[in-house]
Amino acid sequence: MIKIRGLHHHFNIGKKGDQRQVPVLKGVTLEVSEGEIVAILGKSGSGKSTLLHILAGFMLPEAGSVMVNGKETSVLKEAEQADFRLQNFGFIFQNFQLMPGLSAFENVELPLKIKGMDEKERKLKVENLLQKVGLQEVAGHYPNELSGGQQQRVSIARALITDAPIILADEPTGSLDSETEKEILLLIQSLNKKLGLTFVIITHDEEVATVADRQYRLHDGELVKGEQRHAI
Amino acid sequence: MQFKDQIDFIRQHMKRNKLRVATTILAATMGCAFLIVLASIGFGLHQTITDDVLDNNMVTEIEIAGKSGGETEVAPADIPAADLQKIREMEHVVAVVERNQPEAEAQTVIGNRSAYSRIVLSSMEEEQKAGFALSEGKMPSKAEEIVVGYHMAKQLLTEAEMEKEANGEEVDGFAGSLIGQTIELQLTPFRDEGEEAKESSSWEFVVTGIAKEPAKDWMTDNSVYADSSWGAVFNEELDLQQGYKYILVYADELQNVGGITDTLKEDGYYVYSVTEELGSMNVFFTALKAGLIFVGTIAVLIASIGIFNTMTMAVTERTREIGVMKAVGAQPKLIRKLFLMESAAIGIIGTVLAVAISFAISLLSNWLIPMIVLNSLGEDRPADFTLVISTIPWQLVVIASAISIGVAMLSGWRPARKATQIDVIQALRQEM
Ligand SMILES: Nc1ncnc2c1ncn2[C@@H]1O[C@H](COP(=O)(O)OP(=O)(O)OP(=O)(O)O)[C@@H](O)[C@H]1O
Ligand SMILES: [Mg+2]
Repeated sequence: MIKIRGLHHHFNIGKKGDQRQVPVLKGVTLEVSEGEIVAILGKSGSGKSTLLHILAGFMLPEAGSVMVNGKETSVLKEAEQADFRLQNFGFIFQNFQLMPGLSAFENVELPLKIKGMDEKERKLKVENLLQKVGLQEVAGHYPNELSGGQQQRVSIARALITDAPIILADEPTGSLDSETEKEILLLIQSLNKKLGLTFVIITHDEEVATVADRQYRLHDGELVKGEQRHAI
Repeated sequence: MQFKDQIDFIRQHMKRNKLRVATTILAATMGCAFLIVLASIGFGLHQTITDDVLDNNMVTEIEIAGKSGGETEVAPADIPAADLQKIREMEHVVAVVERNQPEAEAQTVIGNRSAYSRIVLSSMEEEQKAGFALSEGKMPSKAEEIVVGYHMAKQLLTEAEMEKEANGEEVDGFAGSLIGQTIELQLTPFRDEGEEAKESSSWEFVVTGIAKEPAKDWMTDNSVYADSSWGAVFNEELDLQQGYKYILVYADELQNVGGITDTLKEDGYYVYSVTEELGSMNVFFTALKAGLIFVGTIAVLIASIGIFNTMTMAVTERTREIGVMKAVGAQPKLIRKLFLMESAAIGIIGTVLAVAISFAISLLSNWLIPMIVLNSLGEDRPADFTLVISTIPWQLVVIASAISIGVAMLSGWRPARKATQIDVIQALRQEM
């Protein structure tokens, strides 16, 4: 499903004339198959988010190849990237990234609107999904009227609504307390089981990594296989 | 994204910043209304003057003031009859009238009453085709028969009455109908200053008809309309020069005057018609209108700075949201379109309001300003003169709308482009 080969990336730091190259990814290779949950661990600043951003097509790598569903994405143009994301990826962010002016329902609806789906079909789909993630009660609430856990559920629903096969999550529980974290992790696990969704979860939290089928550790710009265990 | 959803989307955004959007729309409205009202004055004055010209002229009349004949110019009197016949046979020409005036002072006398008069020598048949009509009686059938002007009877005064009139008193003139009356026409050749008085001669005519009342109530018609064959008689008897000959071509309708005028010009005639007069005026007023629209556009441009600011702020404020939209899969094209639509919406709402306000201002000024101006003129005001200050034709609405909405979209262009260039990663990093 996902095949990353020899990924290199560095950032230029400092003012012009006094620039330094900081290599972040030095030949990362990763394979994720369909229906897997893969966790990528690593210290702060190790380049986890950078790896995810390249995978998502938010930025282009300096070198290396990224194949998603048999398609090389690192050569796509911006507009093609957007289209590809709409079809293939759902995103879960640490700080939820909900639209403050839209209700929970409308936030979940947004990707379908962008897709150009009919209103009737859209409403039905969103209602269905909100029920599945246990949000039907708060559908009309705005983000500032929701708890952190609820907001993350909305954000997960938004990631799922387009039926994208791959969900990319950057610190999905980073802003939640441990109780809520468990809830969200259970939700992710059940979605993976029921819908066969593929998850790539980025975290620095060992606890989160326990839901993963496989764990990797990003260290010194390279990805090392971590221990494998099935938990919960 | 479906169009309906796009509209929904920008409506939601505009609602979130009501005050800012409202003030921007206000500025756009003021700019566009200024443009329309300013230009409407040009259109209004043009209309006033055009109406005035059409009102005070025989609009279907084309005067031939001569013809170019190689090196020399041919005077109207010397244009061959065959040429005039050709014109008479042109399409849309109903009549070609040749009017002569003898070079002599004319006085009509009936009994002890007399009046100064103007002699019009013409073919009455052709005059009739050109629209000459009677208020009473019938057209002459013999050479000794004439038609007199509508005011002739009133102008025929005794000497006592003339004195009275000179003192500002009301006089009645000839009582009863002139029809069937024999009138004596006395002609005295014009003389230059210092010249001795010349001998006059008289002829007798029978009045068969009275011309219809002139269109304008300030005009008096005390002419004598006689057959053109008299020209030669008068000239011979009094030893007169050939007087000026008016050649007037009449079109069937105003809309054909332009075509006939052009054809005649091509044939080398010197012509003068209402369309000619309006034509040279049109050039002036087109320039005036263009100038006013240009000045008005400056107001629209000033308003566009507001739109630019509002849209730039909107993009900055919504950077994170734009980032999310892009992350979720929105095309840069869509983002740009949404912002362009928003600035266009400001332009459109502003324009619609401006058009409504402009019509109100136009109506008000057309009612108020002529009232003030005409009242300040007091008694001297010209009769039946309508002053139109401001007119808003649909063309002006179209031009002003195109300018306002176009400028609004142009000023939204840069902010919209900035929105498409927002980096997803940077945007997502922003705090809520
Ligand atoms: N736009 C950038 N310009 C320069 N350097 C950057 C940029 N983005 C990231 N970096 C650097 O790249 C390195 C990796 O950053 P990244 O955000 O991928 O780390 P991370 O593993 O996600 O850390 P965290 O766990 O704190 O989120 C860091 O040292 C960071 O300073
Ligand atoms: Mg990170």
